[in-house]
Amino acid sequence: MRSLSSLFANSSSLLWRASLRHLGRHPWQMALSILGIALGVAVVVAVDLANESARRAFDHSMQTVTGQATHQIVAGPMGLDEQLYVILRRSGRLPVSAPVVEGYLAYGKQTLRLLGVDPFAESRFRNLLSHVPVKTEEGLLKRLLTQPGAVVMSRERMEAFGLSVGQPFELWHSGQRRQAVLAGYFEPPAEQRAVLRDLLLADISTAQELLGQVGRLSRIDLILSDVDAENLDAINSLLPAGSRLIPAASRGLAMQEMTRAFSVNLTAMSLLALVVGLFLIYNTLSFSVLQRRELMGQLRVLGATRADLFRLVLGEGLLIGSLGTLLGLLLGILLAQELVQLVTQTINDLYFVLTVRELSLTPMGIIKGLLLGVGGSLLAVLVPASEAALSPPRSVQNRSGVEQGARKLLQPFAWSGIALLIAAAVLLQLSDSLLFGFIALFVLILGFSLLTPMWVSLICRYSAPLFGRLFGSPGRMAVGGVQASLSRTGVAIAALSIAVATTVGVGVMVGSFRVSVQQWLESSLQADIFISPDAPSGTGYEAALTPAVLQIIERLPEVAGIRQSRPVEIQSGDEIVHLTALRLAAESYAGMQFLEGTPDTVWPLFDREQAVIISEPYAYHHGLHAGDTLELETNQGRQPFKIAGVFRDYETEQGVVKMRMPLYQYYWGDKSVYSTWLYLQPGVDVDAVLAKLHRLVGDQQALRIHASKTLREASIKTFDRTFAITHVLRLLVIGVAFVGILSALMALQLEKARELAVLRAMGFTPRQVWGLVTAQTGFMGLISGLLALPLGLVLAAVLIFVVNRRAFGWSMDVVVPGMVLLDAVLLALIAALLAGLYPAWRMSQTAPAQALREE
Amino acid sequence: MRAAIVVLISIFVLMLGWLFLPQSVEKNASTNVADMLGGVVDDGFERAVQPRPFKFPQDHGAHPEFRSEWWYFTGNLETAEKRRFGFQLVFFRTALKPGDAEGKSLWRSHQSWMAHFALTDAQAGRFHAFERFGRGAIGLAGAQPEPFKVWLDEWSVIEQDGKWVLHVAEADLSLTLSLTSLRQPVLQGEAGLSQKSAAAGNASYYYSIPRLAAEGQVVIGGKQHAINGMAWLDREWGTSALGEDQAGWDWFSLQLDDGSDLMYYQLRRKDGNPDFHSAGSLVLPGGEVIRLGPEDVRLQPLAYWNSPKGGRYPVRWQLHIPSQKLELEVIPVLENQELDLLVRYWEGAMDVSGTRTGRAVRGRGYLELTGYSED
Repeated sequence: MRSLSSLFANSSSLLWRASLRHLGRHPWQMALSILGIALGVAVVVAVDLANESARRAFDHSMQTVTGQATHQIVAGPMGLDEQLYVILRRSGRLPVSAPVVEGYLAYGKQTLRLLGVDPFAESRFRNLLSHVPVKTEEGLLKRLLTQPGAVVMSRERMEAFGLSVGQPFELWHSGQRRQAVLAGYFEPPAEQRAVLRDLLLADISTAQELLGQVGRLSRIDLILSDVDAENLDAINSLLPAGSRLIPAASRGLAMQEMTRAFSVNLTAMSLLALVVGLFLIYNTLSFSVLQRRELMGQLRVLGATRADLFRLVLGEGLLIGSLGTLLGLLLGILLAQELVQLVTQTINDLYFVLTVRELSLTPMGIIKGLLLGVGGSLLAVLVPASEAALSPPRSVQNRSGVEQGARKLLQPFAWSGIALLIAAAVLLQLSDSLLFGFIALFVLILGFSLLTPMWVSLICRYSAPLFGRLFGSPGRMAVGGVQASLSRTGVAIAALSIAVATTVGVGVMVGSFRVSVQQWLESSLQADIFISPDAPSGTGYEAALTPAVLQIIERLPEVAGIRQSRPVEIQSGDEIVHLTALRLAAESYAGMQFLEGTPDTVWPLFDREQAVIISEPYAYHHGLHAGDTLELETNQGRQPFKIAGVFRDYETEQGVVKMRMPLYQYYWGDKSVYSTWLYLQPGVDVDAVLAKLHRLVGDQQALRIHASKTLREASIKTFDRTFAITHVLRLLVIGVAFVGILSALMALQLEKARELAVLRAMGFTPRQVWGLVTAQTGFMGLISGLLALPLGLVLAAVLIFVVNRRAFGWSMDVVVPGMVLLDAVLLALIAALLAGLYPAWRMSQTAPAQALREE
Repeated sequence: MRAAIVVLISIFVLMLGWLFLPQSVEKNASTNVADMLGGVVDDGFERAVQPRPFKFPQDHGAHPEFRSEWWYFTGNLETAEKRRFGFQLVFFRTALKPGDAEGKSLWRSHQSWMAHFALTDAQAGRFHAFERFGRGAIGLAGAQPEPFKVWLDEWSVIEQDGKWVLHVAEADLSLTLSLTSLRQPVLQGEAGLSQKSAAAGNASYYYSIPRLAAEGQVVIGGKQHAINGMAWLDREWGTSALGEDQAGWDWFSLQLDDGSDLMYYQLRRKDGNPDFHSAGSLVLPGGEVIRLGPEDVRLQPLAYWNSPKGGRYPVRWQLHIPSQKLELEVIPVLENQELDLLVRYWEGAMDVSGTRTGRAVRGRGYLELTGYSED
């Protein structure tokens, strides 16, 4: 017994030494696999961290402003009458309650969130002033309560703005100047710093005055005991129509729902990068097993069992996977720092003002990265490990034996590939969920990659004569080499083509999207001039044009028509509805493209009935169609609105409901106008009117006054900025694939060292060898590029018709630019050629005698 | 005179941000009382420098030109089954700044309000205490003379049909009392000017209504009980009070069954000795008011109660006024009547027994002890 176990110990340590020596002798292979895994893990971790950071930032900022509240009383866009709070307090029915007035202000370019509270009611809700340094807090509360304009801001912002305590300064709200004074500053502990950085705290009176909300409350926060919570109906009955009691979390959830699709998209992209990384490790290890077949056979003779060899290769995979994963985690964290900026920027452009931009490292994010990297690596080496375990003792099997074995697998692989493609199609039919869409996407890619070796083999077979005619025997040899090492080249080509296909898919999708958006902008921005208050983006709903400015606009003789709009958010049920009240000019009716209903049927209803029009995403997400009825929570209770039509819209992916302004004013009592579009009399110079407007308005209100042309350009710029993140991810996917193909080629060329040495010995010049190797890599690149096209187009179709539709609810016209396709092939070719440079150089430099001797 | 310390501490703490800073309250409360009282007072406030004519009902309302003011209701009550209760409902007003607030928002106000409600349930041996805060704006809190009304949220005393209706509720407790004044207001000190320490202006205007017949209901433990008894109102307003060397006080308001009412506060110096400015009054059954000074009254603690939160309160007293041949023992209904609120102090229902000119007298009242908590 003893001797047996010691023998086992000896043999396993022997195995490990052999293994390490092998890996040590091929540092490049090692390094490349590690790098490949590292890049894949890095992208996954970075995207996960960036998403998670954005989510946490959102949670934190919600938490900061919600505090300990369990419920909230909310109302329409005008908020609540402040007297409601007094009545509730005086009634004694809701003792633990706190009024809140909040909104956004700008200091220069910086948007700040103002939270106005009643300090007397705050103690059980928030604890914000605990972040004020003790030495500076004396008299602070008195200043907040008695000094008009007194606010507390973070020390970071105070210093960045060059302010000091007691100093008056200017803030802007809805383009109007407000006088504030710095009453004190927050110096929160590190974990709170980000949350409080862009927060201003003020007494509720100051907040009402700064935000122009005198007489109104944004909401009333409540802490309800379990007993109270059971009597929600009783409390609800105390509330006037139009105000409602909701759980405190529901608003946050509703807002979070809006960004969910965006995070899912990013995650899917990042997983794609990891898949490419896993291909790489699979490739590397199966190659290293092939290289050592002879050694493995000898080890078997020496007494190593199949299980030993299996474990050995698995161990190598674990080692490479772990090293790569660790490196990937570090890289991912670095990368996430950059990515989080982009994510936040995107969220700010598309959804709401999120003023937190800190990276939060969570154990879960790290663990996920570890599991994916190490677990994925283990999965990827299962095949090479089994291959090693199958090594017959002492068999000096040659390369061709292996390749014969691989060729036997071609058909089963191809059939499995076809099965997976069918499975993907079935998955897409099965469910409408976005998740299924993504799963189908991955199954599709997997199926395609299983089919790749078959395609490569076919292409090689039929193109070899062609290449032979074109380039002579080196051409035939190049093609033949690819064919002969199919187990290696097939994988490399699959990896590269998936990476390139991804760029094709995303490129076509973004391109189609961009064209559709451009067309939509053209038709919907037909007015000549756009005017809105200069309020930070994402805060439009509380900003408005002043009556004086509206009057100036209406009196301009150059104006032929005016279109006014008031976008607001209505919490209706558990959902936040984006509602836009519209007063259309005669000229603006034509600008709307209806997907359901026609102008003849829609406009009469819209103009005269209790009817609305809804955007395509809204219709998709809610399963609504023209003719259906939509219920909205108004100041006069829930009201039914007939859906007159569905229009094309890319403004918000959660969708928007539009109704005529008088109807909105009737139900919500809000007369404000956010933006105005001017249609000018024919022949009037737009620039002259712009100048005149600037002159007339003067400094009454800071406005954004734009010619529609510049606005269209700005919109497209925003679009491009939004998709900047997809470009970055595409580059990363390519980066991983590049390393993959480099490593595959290195392996291939090293493996062929003897063959090449023979060629050298036969009189090939180094230049000829170089040419041969380059031709071979170029050929592989070309195949990858060509194979990437159909997959890319299918991916684009899935992205456009499944992912975009399910995530955002909008459709688009598919545009396939020839350039994207050509670019893809070139990209694959260049990537392969670049990756082949070093192996080619190395091969050509090898002295034939030495190469032969090594062998 | 009452809880000037309470109010002054609350002013101080207010300034420091207790509202957001429950955890730092103890730190703040431990700050030297004398520092607070010697602290800078805005020049814009009026001060109680000389006696003034009192006019009712106007003076039942607020006097915002002074920094602080309070309406202090205490009383002993019982049900038909002789179940004994004591209550305290006090409204404190503190001006953060003199003058009227400026601004468009109705929430603007310089007046901050705090209210304490305590209920002593002798039978259950339990003491309940609560506090509320609010601003004197938009109808959340305030006081007005005609019809009389003082309120913070739904805690209120409101004149209805010539009677004052007190209503207070918190958690599952509520108390509603109809109060009828049985005495004219008694002006304390020198015609209502109550000097608290040597410096001019360190004084308040102070009157009491020592007997208010009370009847109403208390809801406790899910049950409503009809209840009646006798309450006491103390009204005081001023801008500054204590001198630098004063630490706290022991305050008595006693209603005796021979028809006389005794109020006496003993100011304690930091060295533990009674202060020269300690004062009080004895209202005889016929309404005659006899002013009392430290030379008239001998006070002797008989028993102490140690608060689990820290502090040793003298809760049982011997009170002797030789000139009136009055000898009383003042005994707490419960030992633990400490209000463990933002500001911690002891104030509770008392029983009184003793002799007056040799004849046995009994009575009930309230005792307030401040400056004993050790934090």
